[in-house]
Amino acid sequence: MGAKIIQFDQGWSCLQKGITKLKKILEGAPGGHFSSEEYMALYSTIYNMCSQNSPNYSQQLYEKYGESLTEYIRATVLPSIAENHGEFMLREFVNRWANHKVMVRWLSHFFSYLDRWFVSQKSLPRLKEAGLVVFRECVYEKVKSNVVACVIGFIDKEREGGRIDRGLLKNVVDVFVEVGMGQMGGYEVDFEAEMLADSGEHYSRKAVSWILEDSCPDYMVKAEECLRREKERASHYLHSSSEQKLVEKVQHELLVVHAHQLIDKEHSGFRALIRGDKVEDLSRMFRLYHKIPKGLEPVANVFKQQVTDEGKALVQQAEDAASSQQGSNGAGAEVGLVLIREILELHDKYMAYVTGCFMNHSVFHKALKEAFEVFCNKSVAGISSAELLAGFCDNLLKKGTSEKLSDEIIEETLEKVVVLLAYYSDKDLYAEFCRKKLARRLLFDRSCNEDHEKSFLTKLKQQCGGQFASKMQGMVTDMTLAKDIQTNFEQYLGTNPNVKPGIDLSVTVLKTGCWPNYKSSDLNLPQEMVKCVEVFKGFYDSQTKRRKLAWIYSLGTCNIVGKFEPKPIELVVSTYQAALLLLFNDSDRLSFSEILTQLKLTNEDLVRLLSSLSCAKYKILIKEPNTKTVKPDDNFVFNSMFTDKMRKIRIPLPPMVDEKKKVTEDVDKERKYAIDAALVRIMKSRKVLGHQKLVMECVEMVQSIFKPDIKTIKKRIEDLITRDYLERDHEDSNMFKYVA
Amino acid sequence: MPKLSQKKCQWNVQPATKEYSAQLPSHPNPRNLQYPPKQTPVEELYRRYKDPHEEMIMAEGMSRLCTDLDVDPQDIVMLVMSWHMKAATMCEFSKQEFFNGLKALKIDSIEKFRSALPSMRSELKDKDKFKEVYNFTFDWAKEKGQKSLQLDTAIGMWQLLFAEMTPKWPYVDQWCEFLEERHKLAIPKDTWNQLLDFVRNVDPSLSNFDEERAWPCLVDDFVDYLKEKGLVQTT
Repeated sequence: MGAKIIQFDQGWSCLQKGITKLKKILEGAPGGHFSSEEYMALYSTIYNMCSQNSPNYSQQLYEKYGESLTEYIRATVLPSIAENHGEFMLREFVNRWANHKVMVRWLSHFFSYLDRWFVSQKSLPRLKEAGLVVFRECVYEKVKSNVVACVIGFIDKEREGGRIDRGLLKNVVDVFVEVGMGQMGGYEVDFEAEMLADSGEHYSRKAVSWILEDSCPDYMVKAEECLRREKERASHYLHSSSEQKLVEKVQHELLVVHAHQLIDKEHSGFRALIRGDKVEDLSRMFRLYHKIPKGLEPVANVFKQQVTDEGKALVQQAEDAASSQQGSNGAGAEVGLVLIREILELHDKYMAYVTGCFMNHSVFHKALKEAFEVFCNKSVAGISSAELLAGFCDNLLKKGTSEKLSDEIIEETLEKVVVLLAYYSDKDLYAEFCRKKLARRLLFDRSCNEDHEKSFLTKLKQQCGGQFASKMQGMVTDMTLAKDIQTNFEQYLGTNPNVKPGIDLSVTVLKTGCWPNYKSSDLNLPQEMVKCVEVFKGFYDSQTKRRKLAWIYSLGTCNIVGKFEPKPIELVVSTYQAALLLLFNDSDRLSFSEILTQLKLTNEDLVRLLSSLSCAKYKILIKEPNTKTVKPDDNFVFNSMFTDKMRKIRIPLPPMVDEKKKVTEDVDKERKYAIDAALVRIMKSRKVLGHQKLVMECVEMVQSIFKPDIKTIKKRIEDLITRDYLERDHEDSNMFKYVA
Repeated sequence: MPKLSQKKCQWNVQPATKEYSAQLPSHPNPRNLQYPPKQTPVEELYRRYKDPHEEMIMAEGMSRLCTDLDVDPQDIVMLVMSWHMKAATMCEFSKQEFFNGLKALKIDSIEKFRSALPSMRSELKDKDKFKEVYNFTFDWAKEKGQKSLQLDTAIGMWQLLFAEMTPKWPYVDQWCEFLEERHKLAIPKDTWNQLLDFVRNVDPSLSNFDEERAWPCLVDDFVDYLKEKGLVQTT
């Protein structure tokens, strides 16, 4: 059908009617909807006005579209919002937006033909978009600050406990978001920023008063509750993107700003909570600070301080106890046992907090480690920490300790000791003391249980590497082999009765290398013992080829029967003591010098021996004169009247050399080698390296075993220069070069 | 028989003299059959001072040389001279060293020798030469077969050398006292060499002493000693 040309005014008046009707519908008038005919009429009018070639009214219609909306807003929408306040204003705001969306929808349907061609042709915004923009510019921009202030007011009211219409607030927020039309900038700048600032102030005020009034646990409970509420608030009526920001703000004001005041509170802060074992409160503290970046640091620092102080106090206690017992032999050692046990208990206690309240967080593990490293390495009563720990292990593993501990407890304790060892810087010194004490336990049959020994060494190996306990493991294996050799020896004697020495002899054959070095002095053996040595030598040579035996009499034990007049008593003595006593089989009375000549010992050794037999608890020999110490002009007589209620007694011989000094010397020597090896290894691979770097890498290389002294490293570098392993660079004396 | 004797005659005459002449050092004319051959001035000097049993000038000869040169044997110029000679050990010159040294110095008489002394002495004013002489001193002063220098010899050498150095190092005496009191061991070469660096580069107030650097331990200990005794100078 031939389309009629529609003139503008004609067309527009028709459309105007439609628009007016639409407005009435929006205002809530009855009889409000468009029939399909009405719709079609409006649509076609526009269609015709836009598709007719001339005059083409696309441009005008597009503008009219915008104007209609603008006019309506000016006339009706804006005033209705502006007239109202508070909740009513918000409702108007929400409703008007909803209405506007509807209006835009209908209008764009009517004018939709424009969307088809005109809009893209002229690169204009599409109808819907354009329509919504109108609201934004004419309404939103004008009322937004009032709206925001109003909303924030309601939020604060709710915070103070008032009831508000959450749904309404949600709707308002939604408007802010929708008005952005995909961009969050409007929401964030216009609403969120204000809201966050206000929230910050709110909680800042609260925090200032709470921190003064409340105890730490109470404050934390409040904080936790606030955070919970804010989260809930955010999920109910804020945009999801605001939740995290709000939570962070609140956390900052409540927890970060006053962190130190809170944690260090005098009677209820962290340290008080630990003292009172307030597990729940501590867990809460962890929960609260865990989510804040670096939030746990202040807590961990106080934790570290607490542990360090407690540890140091234990050490001081031990030191005081030792000095008050001054003069009593082995005071240091006894005190040491108690101290180590207390340190282990301390470790258990605080580790429980770390794994429990503090959820195994690495920050607390680190704090615990650093704290223990501070006080574990302190010496007590002149005894190094390494020796104290070794002494504790020795006590666990040897027979005859007063407390009878179950196997399980022993295993558990050993496990804990190995964990504790990680905090000690002189691990090699500890290993050396362990080795010496292990040797004594094995050789004098003082070990309570071979399984414990073996399992302990395995644990050490796992913790510190294969090398660490390899010598000790060798020693334990040796004992098994030695037992086999002894069995063979007894069989040998069985089959060759003619060579029997007449005394029960048992020999422990050790391989040099893994055992500590023992010096054997040339004791003049009594005849009976000489025979034993020869017999065993004969046996051993028959079993092995080209092995040489070195006899260490200082480690031997002898059971001899003293035929005292009251009753015979079996004496368990060292070989040296036995050799001395046997001299009295031939003479009743001997002088110091006679004994010296006969036994071929040194003066000091003989004094020690004679003291143990004549000046100590059991006086097997009578010394003339009866003074307290042995002098070279003394004489000795066999005490035939000696007796004791026991049938068998052990007469101890105090050790010869200051073991501690020797061990420290040995370890220092090993360390020098270790440092040398490390330096050479580093230089070999780097070829050229500066002094500082070299020292640093050397420290890194050895620190799992011991903490090296920088001065020693420097000396070793100098020594390597003298031995032509390294040289200084000619230009830069701070650089070293490897000499191939 | 005649053939053999002929050979024997042949064998004896020319080669024999050749061999004999070759034994004489730097003889200008090997075919000159003067017996014994005339000696060069340097050879004469050498013969004057050499030890009767060894091919070396030893302590006694050195002392006579000093007398003839009119110089004190402790004078530092002897050290400089030894450096020129590249002498291996103090108080002796090997034949080679003596000859090469005099050749390098263009000396062939005692008078020339004597007049060369002042210029040798002034060589020490040159920083680089002083360093060379200083470094040379260690190997020269130490005992044969040892790696380190005996402490008392080292102290003597240091006192000798530092007396010549300008600007004067203010800690010479303290250094020697420190060594005698605290160190008491031989001095390794590296420490010897590094000390000169320390003397030249670290100022007397010790303000630029960096203990992180690779100074020898002895130097570190000396700095501690100075601080301990309150001997550090304020500039």
